[in-house]
Amino acid sequence: MSPLRRFLRTPEAVAGAILLAVLIAMALSAPLLFPGDPQAIAGPALLSPFQDWSLPLGTDRLGRNVLAELFHGARTSLAVGLAAAAAALVVGAVVGTLAGFAGGLVDEVLMRITDAFQTVPSFLLALAFVSVVGSSLGIVAIAIALGTWTGPARVARAEVLSIRERDYVAGARVIGMHPLVIAFREVLPNALPPVLAMSSVIVAAAILTEAALSFLGLGDPNRVTWGGMIAEGRAVLRTAPFLSIVPGIALVLTVLGVYLAGEGIVETTAVRRGLS
Amino acid sequence: MSLLTVSNLTKRYHRGDKTIAAVDDVSFHIDSGETLALAGPSGSGKSTIARLVLRLIEPDDGRIDFEGDDFLALNGAALRVRRARLQMVFQDPLAAFNPRATVARVLDDPLRIHGIASRSERPRRIAALLERVGLTADLAPRAIHEISGGQRQRVAIARAVATKPSLIVLDEAVSALDVSVRGQILDLLLDLQRQERIAYLFISHDLGVIRAIAHRVVLLDAGRIAESGDACAVIDAPQSAIGKALVAAAPRLNRTKQDAS
Ligand SMILES: Nc1ncnc2c1ncn2[C@@H]1O[C@H](COP(=O)(O)OP(=O)(O)OP(=O)(O)O)[C@@H](O)[C@H]1O
Ligand SMILES: [Mg+2]
Repeated sequence: MSPLRRFLRTPEAVAGAILLAVLIAMALSAPLLFPGDPQAIAGPALLSPFQDWSLPLGTDRLGRNVLAELFHGARTSLAVGLAAAAAALVVGAVVGTLAGFAGGLVDEVLMRITDAFQTVPSFLLALAFVSVVGSSLGIVAIAIALGTWTGPARVARAEVLSIRERDYVAGARVIGMHPLVIAFREVLPNALPPVLAMSSVIVAAAILTEAALSFLGLGDPNRVTWGGMIAEGRAVLRTAPFLSIVPGIALVLTVLGVYLAGEGIVETTAVRRGLS
Repeated sequence: MSLLTVSNLTKRYHRGDKTIAAVDDVSFHIDSGETLALAGPSGSGKSTIARLVLRLIEPDDGRIDFEGDDFLALNGAALRVRRARLQMVFQDPLAAFNPRATVARVLDDPLRIHGIASRSERPRRIAALLERVGLTADLAPRAIHEISGGQRQRVAIARAVATKPSLIVLDEAVSALDVSVRGQILDLLLDLQRQERIAYLFISHDLGVIRAIAHRVVLLDAGRIAESGDACAVIDAPQSAIGKALVAAAPRLNRTKQDAS
């Protein structure tokens, strides 16, 4: 059976893929369906959902269109989640490969640094970084990556340690290939599968961390974020709970979708072969 | 002067608080265009010697002279340049190549690294190398795992000769091949040696193969040289205990002896 057909026969993977597809559609269509500033006043304040069909999910305390905010928030979540995960995977893979391949002092130093980063809870690290450097979308992504690259680094290193003993690496040395070329062209690509298998968990965690930072008011102030929406709604939690519930549900479904689809891909393709 | 001279080579491994000498005070030499075989029971240090000679691992003691230079003194870029002259063929040709590689890439690497041919010239060189080892040029775009074991070992030999080496180390290079393919590969090696005066350090546990290809043989036992000399003379009349045991354990040789008597 082809990986795609196996994927389609796994119900949770399909559910995840559908959730993810909806999220991506929301993120891509946001500027088309809701052009202009999603933070602009669109109607009366605190309009409940399903009252006015031009504002299906109602409005918040300032009269902003909740549905527009939700769509634009999907953009932020996805952008930050993907950027942070990509940065964490790239940095982790490079550090892990260098440490594992070079061995000796280089390995010692790099792994000490990895340990140091791992000891600090990743959320605190992101919090501290954003507080000091300020918050734009890019900075938030870097802040999140700062606390997540250590996992991929360890996995990459372990994989490289076993690959480096293989004959073909000795063969590359015998033909006079430069050690850095061997590390990054011959070894790294073969160490990637188990590292990539971590990406769904990392993306999901990054989306949650971004929401948490925004909730604390440390997200990009010029962007709508789901975390920021939940924080906004907190002030009127009793009278207008939907303002927190709607972005909350969106967040849960997104994280679930990313996780299920990612695991589905890992399970049904050969990606996990590298682990066995 | 010899092409390769190995003097008092020693390599120790530490296991727990025990130290074992995988290679213990080993000396031998190889001349240009000559085949020296290394034989011995499993664990006697044959592969360790191969890896030491190729500078894949470093010895604890001893000296290696290659093409008149102190080979152990070479490092970094100078060592990488000199590696063109000293190549290797491994036992398992599948493990010897990057699983993602194609035949063309495997042969392109040494040509590029050592600046042997320009980018535009390389495809023609690759085709010529493939033909040199008895393959056809249309194999070039194939993935390494898409060709047969015998073809793969020919590609490994093509890669080894791509840089015009003076010495090739072959560690059980024909052991994984079935008998008919083995004969063809041995013929290819002999042919290359005749035409290009390449010397071989030929590691094998098969005394029949050694008799067919090697000029001289060194028998190892537990990291030490037990016996050495002319390949046919040593195999036909071994003096050392380990030599007698190896000959006794070789079925094909016994048969030829019986036939002769
Ligand atoms: N990296 C290593 N660490 C510890 N001991 C090693 C290492 N490599 C080899 N040895 C030991 O050194 C000795 C010689 O090993 P070597 O691989 O050279 O034997 P060999 O003659 O090639 O055997 P075989 O015919 O089985 O290939 C063995 O006892 C082996 O266990
Ligand atoms: Mg061996």
